[in-house]
Amino acid sequence: NEELWVQSVLEMPKRRDILAIVLIVLPWTLLITVWHQSTIAPLLAVHKDDGGDSRRDLAAGLDSKEYCLSDRDIVEVVRTEYVYTRPPPWSDTLPTIHVITPTYSRPVQKAELTRLANTLLHVPNLHWILVEDSQRRTALVTRLLRDTGLNYTHLNVETPRNYKLRGDMRDPRIPRGTMQRNLALRWLRETFNKNNSQPGIVYFADDDNTYSLELFEEMRSTRKVSVWPVAFVGGLRYEAPKVNAAGKVYGWKTVFDPHRPFAIDMAGFAVNLRLILQRSQAYFKLRGVKGGYQESSLLRELVTLNDLEPKAANCTKILVWHTRTEKPVLVNEGKKGFTDPNVEI
Amino acid sequence: YVYSRPPPWSDTLPTIFVITPTYTRPVQKAELTRLANTFLHVQNLHWVVVEDSPRRTNLVSNLLEKAGLNFTHLNVETPKSLKLGLSWIPSHTPRGTLQRNLGLHWLRDSFSNTAPPEGVVYFADDDNTYSLELFEEMRYTRRVSVWPVAFVGGLRYESPKVSPSGKVVGWKTVFDPNRPFAIDMAGFAISIKLILEKPQASFKLEGVKGGYQETSLLKDLVTMDGLEPKAANCTKVLVWHTRTERPTLVNEGKRGFTDPRVEV
Repeated sequence: NEELWVQSVLEMPKRRDILAIVLIVLPWTLLITVWHQSTIAPLLAVHKDDGGDSRRDLAAGLDSKEYCLSDRDIVEVVRTEYVYTRPPPWSDTLPTIHVITPTYSRPVQKAELTRLANTLLHVPNLHWILVEDSQRRTALVTRLLRDTGLNYTHLNVETPRNYKLRGDMRDPRIPRGTMQRNLALRWLRETFNKNNSQPGIVYFADDDNTYSLELFEEMRSTRKVSVWPVAFVGGLRYEAPKVNAAGKVYGWKTVFDPHRPFAIDMAGFAVNLRLILQRSQAYFKLRGVKGGYQESSLLRELVTLNDLEPKAANCTKILVWHTRTEKPVLVNEGKKGFTDPNVEI
Repeated sequence: YVYSRPPPWSDTLPTIFVITPTYTRPVQKAELTRLANTFLHVQNLHWVVVEDSPRRTNLVSNLLEKAGLNFTHLNVETPKSLKLGLSWIPSHTPRGTLQRNLGLHWLRDSFSNTAPPEGVVYFADDDNTYSLELFEEMRYTRRVSVWPVAFVGGLRYESPKVSPSGKVVGWKTVFDPNRPFAIDMAGFAISIKLILEKPQASFKLEGVKGGYQETSLLKDLVTMDGLEPKAANCTKVLVWHTRTERPTLVNEGKRGFTDPRVEV
């Protein structure tokens, strides 16, 4: 009996030991197995430590380079992970694109800003300056901007109403969005110092247009003012700058008033931030602007025709469309309203 | 780290099959561009684009290739007799029907009913506006899920009526609220499993009264009390039935002013 008892006592710690070993080893085995079969598809590259170039190579290309390694070579293993972030991570080398968007309250506003934000969220180093035509910054826009995760500045200025006209009508002599764009220009001049400013590009993007992602990369290299075609303006499929064989802009392919100094739509040009800061008095003219001349009112103070930089394959590709959204039919709301006004659309 | 667009595919996330009928007109490329820009944020999305045309066009083919999305490109032309749509007769073939049905057909051809993939089908017209949140709401649909849609039925939005217990009991609409499914095309999603289980369920082609197209499909798939309400029990608007104005092209004149080889 005693012998059996001693034997069982000796056996018990063994079982406990085995259990302990299993409990320790098993998680590590699982971990190593899972790591091996990771679905992230890592790229393992083994290469000589030749300075900073190696890391950049990996990010740009997807090849794993193999070198012959002697026993004494230092080996650095780098793994590329494909990650998705919204917006993309900020880069120290890309010029910032400051997108100035005037906006105003109406039923489709949230829809327009939502789909515009969905586009902007793909563009690295983008700073969205949203300027509301309102007395106060609205909760709708405040919430929307915050929820997107974009880098943004939220401003507002109300276009004076002309009470002499029917009720609460906006003064029709001031083209829409002008005061809002000018406020953004002023904000840029107050925020950035022209002597040490980080490189930047300024672009005016209305909230109902459609922008391809390629457009933003085209404008990033703007030195003074760059230009490109715009679809659905001037009663045409598109309007475009005329570019000669030497790659210089010498005129405008438009039917409506092609002799304007700058016969181009708001969405068809971008300005280098430096230029905006240098010519600190250049603004969009507020009053007395003939239809179609708003863009000229600003550009003539910044640049001459000769200095324009044509983009989009020498102005032969369409990368932006001047789309307009229909006013939704709300007849069934009736006089007192059918839907819950607390539900935001 | 390399910024990837669309997000990397995941083996565990249900797939969202988005069926979009489309047709050639000046704003088509713009619509598909901004739609693609939205879809490029959504993980495990497969875009089924169905052109209303006798052949797949270069415009759409090139756009799909360049975008980087996971896609299937189909086409079927609505016969002229159906297109002309005698609109003085209350029943007609609503636009996009044949194309959506072809999308469903492709799904049933591509996946087997015995081992259905985890996922949902969503009908997304090319001119609507979709929030990113919407796709996460629909991703885990068990049978058919529903939510409000803005700018339909002459209202700020139409929405399912949801009881305190979380069941759909009716429809908050002014136009014909007694339809079996008084809901817009953009207001529901169907699980793949259900689509494959009921291979006969399709949109009715002819003799469909205005506003009854959605019903013609849903009645063969689900009953009202089987619907799953999303978007905070149908109190949030995550999709807008926007429509794009037709652009003025008067200055093109008779012979055309712009270069027709430049794609718009």
